[in-house]
Amino acid sequence: MREDERTSAAVASSGKIVPLPRADAPHGQDHLTWAYQTHVTAIYQYIYGRVGNRPDAEDLTAQVFVKAINGMRSDVSVPELRSWLYRVAQTTLADHWREYYAEGAGELEDDVTQAPAPRENPEAVQRVDSLLATLPESYRRVLELRFLRGYSVRETAQELNLSETNVKVLQFRALNRAGRERGRRS
Amino acid sequence: MNDDPEQLDRHVEDLLQDRRPERTPLPDEDALGARQTAAMLRAAKPGAGLPSKEFLERMQGSIHEWVGQRSAQPQPASRPSRRSLLLTGAAGIAAGVAAMLGIQQATKTQPKKVAQRALVETNGTWKPVKALAELPEGTPIAFRSGAIEGFLIRQGEEVKGLSAICTHMACILNYSKFRDRFECPCHGATFEKDGQPTNYGSPLSPLPPLQVKVEKGQVQVFTV
Repeated sequence: MREDERTSAAVASSGKIVPLPRADAPHGQDHLTWAYQTHVTAIYQYIYGRVGNRPDAEDLTAQVFVKAINGMRSDVSVPELRSWLYRVAQTTLADHWREYYAEGAGELEDDVTQAPAPRENPEAVQRVDSLLATLPESYRRVLELRFLRGYSVRETAQELNLSETNVKVLQFRALNRAGRERGRRS
Repeated sequence: MNDDPEQLDRHVEDLLQDRRPERTPLPDEDALGARQTAAMLRAAKPGAGLPSKEFLERMQGSIHEWVGQRSAQPQPASRPSRRSLLLTGAAGIAAGVAAMLGIQQATKTQPKKVAQRALVETNGTWKPVKALAELPEGTPIAFRSGAIEGFLIRQGEEVKGLSAICTHMACILNYSKFRDRFECPCHGATFEKDGQPTNYGSPLSPLPPLQVKVEKGQVQVFTV
């Protein structure tokens, strides 16, 4: 690997840690700032895909970067930095669920001991499709209308010829079933 | 308290309106799984999940500042444990990291880092974390295992363990040797070495203690 060779070279030549020059980007602190900045959107999307709302996604994204910057040395390479950010994001999310919803929730989230999947977002839609495919037709339908098409409960009720109460019950059962399905598959 | 369709629908509505859902204790894993699934579905809606321009701009500025602060801090080998622990926890990081840390710490053999979160676990095991001889008297030393972060504080032949997770918003605390206290990098909360919160506007919980014991000169932490 290129990075490894560079690292060894730096260590061997000087006997101490020196920031490695890079050909493809500005040097030093600016480079580091730039490297973090380029990952904001990806980390935000990764987190949004797991909390599903903007305020939480913004807070958690900011937390991830604060923690990541404080926890990482400043001569990090971009691939290291990327995988480090995803790892911090995973632990931050696990803490989020555990802290605010239930103890032990981390078990349901991604396994933080595994290497993170760096390019998550193109997969998000696929993950949902394959999850919906495991559900009975009525469950799939209510989730599609509510989430993917953004129907209100009332609109969903009209579309499905159900009462609003029944739509909520159907949605409840569908989400619980899908949640268990997710747990089994992960 | 049981989960029910009305309560879950309020959560769903919050997500659909991009509001922060109410944070409530949930009765079981199904209730949590339903909400995590709802989040995933919400994010799959076309056009969802892109950060706003305002947020991006704010983050660009903040990152610039944070990196600057970080670089301004002295980063000598006097306190290598924190960084190396964090890094070692990240098993996926390239081997180059190990090489660099190896140089930095060649003279101090780093033991395996094992730790736990700030909760009393019921079905865990005792894991060795450090040699007692490596712990300085009275100075907190950070350690980590998986998602779990803590500090060890030696008092004579005894060692106390404290969670390193800020009780405000769950950021990882730093120990400031200079001010002799724990400090949160996110929102500035501080804690005494006994875990008591000191300065925060709203009352915070103290840092939970961890279960620690010393056996044959090895410090062990109860962890899952």
